[in-house]
Amino acid sequence: MSGENADQAVEQRRTEVLPIDGPLERGIDHIDRTLATGVNLTLDFTGCKFISVDGLEWLEELLLRSDSLGSKVVFTNLVPSVYKVFKVAHIDSLLRACGAPSQPTEPYC
Amino acid sequence: MTSTIKDQDHALQERANHLVRQARLAAAVWTQYSQEQVDNIVKAMTVAAIENVQKLAIAAHEETRMGMIEDKILKNFVASEFHYHQIRDKKTVGIIREFPEEHIVEVAEPVGVILAITPVTNPTSTVIFKSLAAAKTRNSVIFSPHLMAADCSNLAAKIVYEAAIAAGAPKGFITWVEKSPRLRRETELMMVHPEVDLIFATGGTQLVRAAASSGKPALGVGSGNTPVYIHKSASYATTAMDVIISKTFDNGTECPSEQTLVIDAEIAPQLLAEFQRLNCHICTAEEVKKVADAVIDPRTGGMNYKLVGQPADLIAEKAGIKVNQYTKILLCPLEGDLRHHKLAVEKLMPVLGYVIVNSVDEGINRALDINYGGGTGHTAGVFSEDDDVVERFADAINAGRIIVNSPTSIGGLGGVYNNLNTTLSFGCGTGGGNITTDNVGIKNLLNYKRVPRRKNYTLTFQTTKNIYINPGSIDHLRSLKTKSAIIITSRSAARRGHLSMVMERLPADCKVDVFSDVGVEPDFSTVEKAVAVMRQSPVDTVIALGGGSVLDAAKIMRLFYDNPELKLQEVAVSFLDFRHRISVFPQVVHTQLVAIPTTSGTGSEVTPFAVLKDNNSKRKLSLVDECLLPNIAIIDANLTKSMPKEITVDTAFDALTHALEALASTFSSDYTDGLALEAMRLIFEALPETLKNPGHILWRHKLHNAACLAGMAIGNASVGVNHALAHSLGASFDIPHGKANGVFLLSTLEYNSKIPRKFMPTSTYPLWVADQKYARAAQFLGLTDEDAPGETPSREKMCVLLRRAVYDLARLAGQPLAVAELGIPQDQYEQRMIELVTGSFEDMSMRTNPALPLIPEVAALLASAYPPRQRP
Ligand SMILES: [Fe+2]
Repeated sequence: MSGENADQAVEQRRTEVLPIDGPLERGIDHIDRTLATGVNLTLDFTGCKFISVDGLEWLEELLLRSDSLGSKVVFTNLVPSVYKVFKVAHIDSLLRACGAPSQPTEPYC
Repeated sequence: MTSTIKDQDHALQERANHLVRQARLAAAVWTQYSQEQVDNIVKAMTVAAIENVQKLAIAAHEETRMGMIEDKILKNFVASEFHYHQIRDKKTVGIIREFPEEHIVEVAEPVGVILAITPVTNPTSTVIFKSLAAAKTRNSVIFSPHLMAADCSNLAAKIVYEAAIAAGAPKGFITWVEKSPRLRRETELMMVHPEVDLIFATGGTQLVRAAASSGKPALGVGSGNTPVYIHKSASYATTAMDVIISKTFDNGTECPSEQTLVIDAEIAPQLLAEFQRLNCHICTAEEVKKVADAVIDPRTGGMNYKLVGQPADLIAEKAGIKVNQYTKILLCPLEGDLRHHKLAVEKLMPVLGYVIVNSVDEGINRALDINYGGGTGHTAGVFSEDDDVVERFADAINAGRIIVNSPTSIGGLGGVYNNLNTTLSFGCGTGGGNITTDNVGIKNLLNYKRVPRRKNYTLTFQTTKNIYINPGSIDHLRSLKTKSAIIITSRSAARRGHLSMVMERLPADCKVDVFSDVGVEPDFSTVEKAVAVMRQSPVDTVIALGGGSVLDAAKIMRLFYDNPELKLQEVAVSFLDFRHRISVFPQVVHTQLVAIPTTSGTGSEVTPFAVLKDNNSKRKLSLVDECLLPNIAIIDANLTKSMPKEITVDTAFDALTHALEALASTFSSDYTDGLALEAMRLIFEALPETLKNPGHILWRHKLHNAACLAGMAIGNASVGVNHALAHSLGASFDIPHGKANGVFLLSTLEYNSKIPRKFMPTSTYPLWVADQKYARAAQFLGLTDEDAPGETPSREKMCVLLRRAVYDLARLAGQPLAVAELGIPQDQYEQRMIELVTGSFEDMSMRTNPALPLIPEVAALLASAYPPRQRP
């Protein structure tokens, strides 16, 4: 399958929108299970005001798994304090899930 | 073999990556913590550290075999309890400082991931100290301990980390490099790791240097070599005890501790006897040699690291000299040239050099020898009851901490003997290759985000206090309070009868001098001449009678008469913003100044400005200050009745330019706008009438008032680019000021009514409104569009109507509107274009113009002013 065709395949999957409510302190099982069904996911962070280190690590793994499953995970509605956590964490996959471009890891101005 | 090293390096890099990644994620999560959460975590860490001070001291002593358990306990307390006490109430999250007067707040931003290098001499205390500091500032910290102290250091890190996690800190915010033979290499890999934000290095010189050259921001320490000067005024008994406490603290491992004493001869016998009494050993010359051989490494010239932190009796034994087992310090007289003595270096053990001196100068010089012999920027001490000596010492010595009348080692730590910030990391400034001389702490682990609010100036309106405003008001002179006055005027005033009008009205008992040598363009020599006259025959009143030059000159004469010490250079410095100018005007005014204008133009009688010709350059010197304002102005149109037509028109055009420029100025206000608009209206009405009937006092009166009102407007709002051009042209071609203004008016009005290519950056001018101001002027003057009667003109059209009105007035009055009409040949004008542009830019008037004129724009304005004008 060419890259373009693969992209099309991802686009054609059904997208589930799931909210992250409250602080993200650890992995959320039902989100893991939903991803495993082969859908695309949109995680709605409207209700999420805090992310812990475990929460960050889970999100990173979730994105790795979605890559290997050939599906797409998108983060939406991040409050600035949570978006800043992603910025400071310098984890490229998280930033891409927010729609942000890859970020150079070295300090820049 | 090669592949094995490669594999090892790969594994090390993996370990480094893992540590840094943990720290990075924690740093990201930290950004969400509140001050309250942070403070709870720091408190829990402190409690855990305090519970373990003894355990950690023992562990440090066992592992390093340096120092003393008892003192290491104290150090652990300093790093926990004392440190906590000091940082407990400090704000480190959100707005941390406010400067209400400057309208600035500071907001904290953590630095991120810190690589902390810790030493062998203070291993556990440094880890406790840096952990608390990192948590308080919401940073992650990776500890790289000294190999010989790795276990106790990492134990300390683990204890405070676990307490922090239990209190809710982010997972992984403290990590450490495990003890291994490749610890140093792993540290080097992290020093250049892209995810490490700051290196906080305390330890050996080599590591600190490596940190500084890593290309990352680094907080380091320098090496120490603490001189302590003991002045004869000090108390020998307390000095001896303080030095002993300090030098024996943890067996001398503390780097700010005393290395060489510099003792005044007057106090030396008692002090040395006291040291002996308290069980310090004073070495003979032969013993000094033996001590030096033992404690100095002959290969490096520095201290023998094997003896660092060892007790005095053990060192004596190694040196082969006999002392009792309770000996506290080995005191070594350093004979000969101190700069070349082997023991004049840092000795982190209870070995202390001393020299005896015969004066304060010699004392400070010997202290400088030690200070610059390997300890620049670090620490120094002085014992003296004479504050002057302390001040001289502090001025000469280059040290981040200059400890007065107390132990330098515990004193340097801060908090115990003084109010220095508690630290275990001594910044040494540039003298020690560091960025700061601070006692490094939480203050240095934050980024400070400054949030300045827009500057809000207090605007004011100033003018001459007493203004007499009607024809005949010169009669006020009859009641003038004066016993001795000088009239400053020009020759023509006598001719036109003005001088006698003034003389006749002055009180009979008033002694009157007259200085009538003010020419068209007075310079400072004119001022000096007049002031000399006034000094010969002192006056209480200066009466300025004449046009703008006379009034300006009199303002400066009064200033220099009242302030004999004043230098012209001090008050004539150019400036961008008069509120920031360098010139300081004396605010002493003894002599009253009465300004009587005989032309209706400059408005100088009500402005704080005075212009003087500078004989050294072609340019004019502008003086601006409230103290130049006259006390009394007499606006009596009877004095303008005999003004020739040409001067009437010239000066009226100057006043009109004042009104137009003040209206659009970046400093304009509702106060100046009203004055400017009314001044304009009066000129448009009264100038044509005056020209028709020059003797008619009513219209002369209106013109005279218009000039004064416009003067008040520019006195507060200043002028603009038109005046800058006019001053430049006037200086280059000797053109009267009103004419020079007139020839640029149509160009600058058009230029300023268009959206600027560059706005003028002025805090008080938040919105460009020059076109609106001109349109309002056109409306106020009742101008209508003859081509489209009955229609409401657009703003743009209103600006055209204003220019048309200026054109029509000039044509009616015979006032030139173009440079060509001044009789200046085009080739000469073009040849001097660069000079004209430069002259305009040097002019202060430019700086209140609503647009910031660009050099090509100024050149274009000058060029467009040459050819004769068409009606707009
Ligand atoms: Fe003027």
